[in-house]
Amino acid sequence: MERKKQMGIEFNFKGNKDRLIAKLLTKYPSLVRKWAHRSKFIEFSDTPWTQFEKDISTCRLALVTTAGVHLASQKPFDMKNPAGDPTFREIPADTKPADLTITHNYYDHADADQDVNIVFPIERVQELAQSKEIGQVNYRHFSFMGHIMQHHIQTLMKETAPRVAAALTSDNVDIVILTPA
Amino acid sequence: MGLIQRAIEASGIATISISLSKNISQKVLPPRTVYTGLPLGHPIAFPGEIFRQKQILRILLRYLKEMNSPGTITDLDLTKGSDRSVTCDVCMVD
Repeated sequence: MERKKQMGIEFNFKGNKDRLIAKLLTKYPSLVRKWAHRSKFIEFSDTPWTQFEKDISTCRLALVTTAGVHLASQKPFDMKNPAGDPTFREIPADTKPADLTITHNYYDHADADQDVNIVFPIERVQELAQSKEIGQVNYRHFSFMGHIMQHHIQTLMKETAPRVAAALTSDNVDIVILTPA
Repeated sequence: MGLIQRAIEASGIATISISLSKNISQKVLPPRTVYTGLPLGHPIAFPGEIFRQKQILRILLRYLKEMNSPGTITDLDLTKGSDRSVTCDVCMVD
């Protein structure tokens, strides 16, 4: 019981610390540059490439975000694991913003809580389809939580990201727009 | 996010992303990314800016078509740091 209580306090402390850092990084962009400069990321010297020559007004588009967006009815992303949560949530394209929530302590989502379109433009892409600027919106989008670290980088690269890629391929999606946070 | 983008592009779907850090993008090398200068937590602008949000998506679609060099970061200045009042002409509210 005592241990459980202590873990609760530790988690709350970690959550509060992460949220405070997130607020500072949002307020002072120069801190993001310093943080990114000092942090270690996987580095590549080349990148995959799919030539794009289609008419955008006929294309099927899907969104993928790492902003920690999910349906309020879905399981929240894991904020306790310092390595992050490499799982994803499927978001039906006709979801109303009021039915979405954000679980992510590593950026300040106070503004995104007011208007989810600033991290996950679910309504804006529907409007682009209505004005025939794109062909159609795929029936589902996908959402991850950023801040994937340590061993979960491999989980993401080998398991969950390929699963989402396969799902989008089976949906015959032509264009994917990805939004970080 | 770049790692997810790479997996989707490798599966044969054309992708484009917003970059919030040129430094990270230069390391992870997503296939196509647009750095807009927008602050963390605001890749598609600010709450209620419907026109600006849509313009950013239109910019992404335009560069999806135009970018033909894998791993390029298109560097646009759509804002001045976190000052939402200073924005580029194409994102002015109509």
